Amino acid sequence: MSLLTVDLTNCDREPIHILGHIQSHGYLIAIQPDTYSIVHASENIVDLVNTPASQLVGQSVNALLANTDLAENVLVELLNVGKRNDSWETMNPHRFTLNGKVWNLIIHQHQELLLLEWEPTGDDRNAVMNQQLIAQALTEVQASRTLSDLLQNTAQRIKTIIGYDRVMVYRFSADWHGHVVAEAKDDHLEPFLGLHYPASDIPRQARELYKINLVRLIANVDSTPSPILSDPDWSEDQPLDLTHSVLRAVSPVHIEYLKNMGVQASMSISLLYRGELWGLISCHNTTPRFVDFQARQTAKFVSQLLSAALEFRKDEEDKTNLLQYTQIGQRLHEQLLLGDDVARALTKSSVTALDVTEATGAALLFNDKVYRLGETPDESALRSLAVWLGTTDIETFLQTNQLPARYSPAEHFREVGAGILAIALSKELNEYLIWFKPEQVQQVTWAGNPNKPVTVDNDGQQRLTPRKSFDAWTEIVRNTSESWNEAEIGSVVKLREDILQVITKQANEVRLLNQRLQVAYEELDAFSYTVSHDLRTPLSSIRCYSEIIQEEYGQEFNEDARELFQKITESTERMQRLIRHILYYSRMGRTDYSIQPIEMKPLLQNIREELLIANKDRSVRIDIGDTPSITGDPTMIHQVFSNLLSNSAKYTQRAPEAVIQVNGQQTDDEVVYSVVDNGIGFDMKHAGKMFDLFKRLENAREFEGTGVGLAIVKRIINRHQGKIWFHSEPNRGTTFTLSFPVTTH
Amino acid sequence: MLDILYVEDNPNDADIFSRLIRKMDRPITYTVINSGSEAVDYLAGQGRYSTQSNELPKLVLMDLNLNGLSGFEVIQQARSIDRTRFVPIVAFSTSDSPHDIQSAYKAGVNAYVVKPGSYQATGSVIGKLCDFWLENNARIDHR
Repeated sequence: MSLLTVDLTNCDREPIHILGHIQSHGYLIAIQPDTYSIVHASENIVDLVNTPASQLVGQSVNALLANTDLAENVLVELLNVGKRNDSWETMNPHRFTLNGKVWNLIIHQHQELLLLEWEPTGDDRNAVMNQQLIAQALTEVQASRTLSDLLQNTAQRIKTIIGYDRVMVYRFSADWHGHVVAEAKDDHLEPFLGLHYPASDIPRQARELYKINLVRLIANVDSTPSPILSDPDWSEDQPLDLTHSVLRAVSPVHIEYLKNMGVQASMSISLLYRGELWGLISCHNTTPRFVDFQARQTAKFVSQLLSAALEFRKDEEDKTNLLQYTQIGQRLHEQLLLGDDVARALTKSSVTALDVTEATGAALLFNDKVYRLGETPDESALRSLAVWLGTTDIETFLQTNQLPARYSPAEHFREVGAGILAIALSKELNEYLIWFKPEQVQQVTWAGNPNKPVTVDNDGQQRLTPRKSFDAWTEIVRNTSESWNEAEIGSVVKLREDILQVITKQANEVRLLNQRLQVAYEELDAFSYTVSHDLRTPLSSIRCYSEIIQEEYGQEFNEDARELFQKITESTERMQRLIRHILYYSRMGRTDYSIQPIEMKPLLQNIREELLIANKDRSVRIDIGDTPSITGDPTMIHQVFSNLLSNSAKYTQRAPEAVIQVNGQQTDDEVVYSVVDNGIGFDMKHAGKMFDLFKRLENAREFEGTGVGLAIVKRIINRHQGKIWFHSEPNRGTTFTLSFPVTTH
Repeated sequence: MLDILYVEDNPNDADIFSRLIRKMDRPITYTVINSGSEAVDYLAGQGRYSTQSNELPKLVLMDLNLNGLSGFEVIQQARSIDRTRFVPIVAFSTSDSPHDIQSAYKAGVNAYVVKPGSYQATGSVIGKLCDFWLENNARIDHR
């Protein structure tokens, strides 16, 4: 074992319930409950019964009284009575007069053995006074005194009962270090009130034993413990278990600890809260002092009254808090259900998330926004904290009253948030609700330096000894807030459920909406198809038959009839075109598109050729300048330029020579194309609805058109995350400018 | 010897087609079948076409939007039969949707022509189709 690993937790491994010794102020035998044969006897039993232990083990219990003034069968008869009643508790203590001296016999059964222990009796006159003390204690517990009064008076009362010169009430913290919260002492003694003791002073298995055996007495630290002899036939790997023994010897380490403190006799009584060790009543005497059974029982009873009071008071306190938090939680839940805005319900209503705990600040990180209530770290610190929370094992909640110990950047905001209680709303989205408690700078006075609880022997022995110095050692505890209690944690966990329920409900609503939208889209698809086919087909028939009539019977018509038929043909033709454009428009919004770099020169030349053919009876010039490539869907981009250039060709019909110029320009993050013409132009004031479906400008009326072309262009540009704008004046031509990002998603 | 098999379930379109062929004044033979399943029977030489020694046409003109078995399905089935694997099929549809055009080519058409929607234009298209598929096209499907 290296020195570095040595600490008092070694005491944790000491088997203190089977030390094999008893304290020498009493005597012990252990017998088989059925045969009454003696299995173990303390070596000092010879002083009581004049027969050495070695001659007793293995014998009948009758052998015990062989050399005394009592008849041999006295003990057997006593045992028979106890066995018939099936209770030893009620017999304890049994007055046992032996060779003219009175003893208290205390019997208990443990692990298939009966243990009989004799110890001295005390002064009977105390009994009456002890009764009065118990009555006082009862009255006091029933009256609603403060907890510190209750602790202080209990300490005083115990001191009166057992007559020790110092009685302390020692309270355990969560880390099992102890804190003296009440003290009754003789005047000449130095006060220990307020001192802290490191957790290693009372090792783990001692604490376990304290939960089972509520009262321990060490009558004299200087007495030599008496070893326990066993029947040679008794298996050696079953040493006598002294868990419930009243005479159990104490670990040498503990004896040394007491000696270092200048204590000669000690007694401790456990204080339990909900089955857990809440604290101890620790009693010291500077000289050896035995406390008899009745006095110990009285002290135990008074302590149990205190334990009950603790439980009752703490429950009351918790209930009050819990009730308050429950009511606030209920209001928050109502607020959450009422509106669809989670953040508003939690932070901007009459009751806020800050009210469900004793926290002084709270922050909600939700939907990528930060909402702060009360005293909290700043927004960037909160965002970083949320990122850190994501790296922890937080599933439901995380609580700490020493955040900087786990997350060092928290030192910067310890004044507002040395402690946090956080609930996870969505770890994936970094969404949390976090409560903050400020730093409480505490001055802790330790009994001795808690970091140096170990001293090593000079001779290099690895055996540890407890510290020798108990001089008060002061430590400033920083980076620590008040801790979070059960009621607070309970209320935020409930709040989390409420929030998640609302969020889930909203998510479901969105999903439902999406589904409906999907259905609507599909219906639109079906509708488009209906338009495209079922509507177009009869329209084509109308047109074809009117053409046939014109062709085959036209010569029989008069002029008026021929004109009317011409109007039918033209109208159907316009309607066919309108339907075709609407279909284009809807298709551009919905069809899948494939993104790729597009060679613009061939694309533009292609469009130019088509336009020149369509306008071959007039003078049209189309100039193509620089043609940097665009990343996009080829079909759609073709549609964009085809529509723009067709528009230019259309609105330049009246110009003596139509001139259309297309030019591209590449910058670092965008490709910009412009399409310039010398057409009729338009008044910018009326151009607000330029890209709306079916909207046409006033001066465009004389030209064929459906009002769909530019809407299609705008739609395609939007799908490419591009921009389109224009500049024009009546009769001064028009410029359309298009910008495409260099990388399109 | 059959020149054109026209699969079309719209009687007006079939009528307009007949009028245009007649007007062309060329010795073109054609049959109009008005359902997809019957078209499959004809091409596979089964059902009521099993006993007749019906010759394959020089051109199948296929409307796509048919009630029941669609034009796409007819084309697919025709392409899965040895007898009609290479018979020239031209889709003739009102639809100009890229999706339909792509589906038709995937099913195995040789060409896709959108119905022009006017008598004059349809006449011009039919004329060109006859010129090319009945006169210029070299085939491997008939033995």
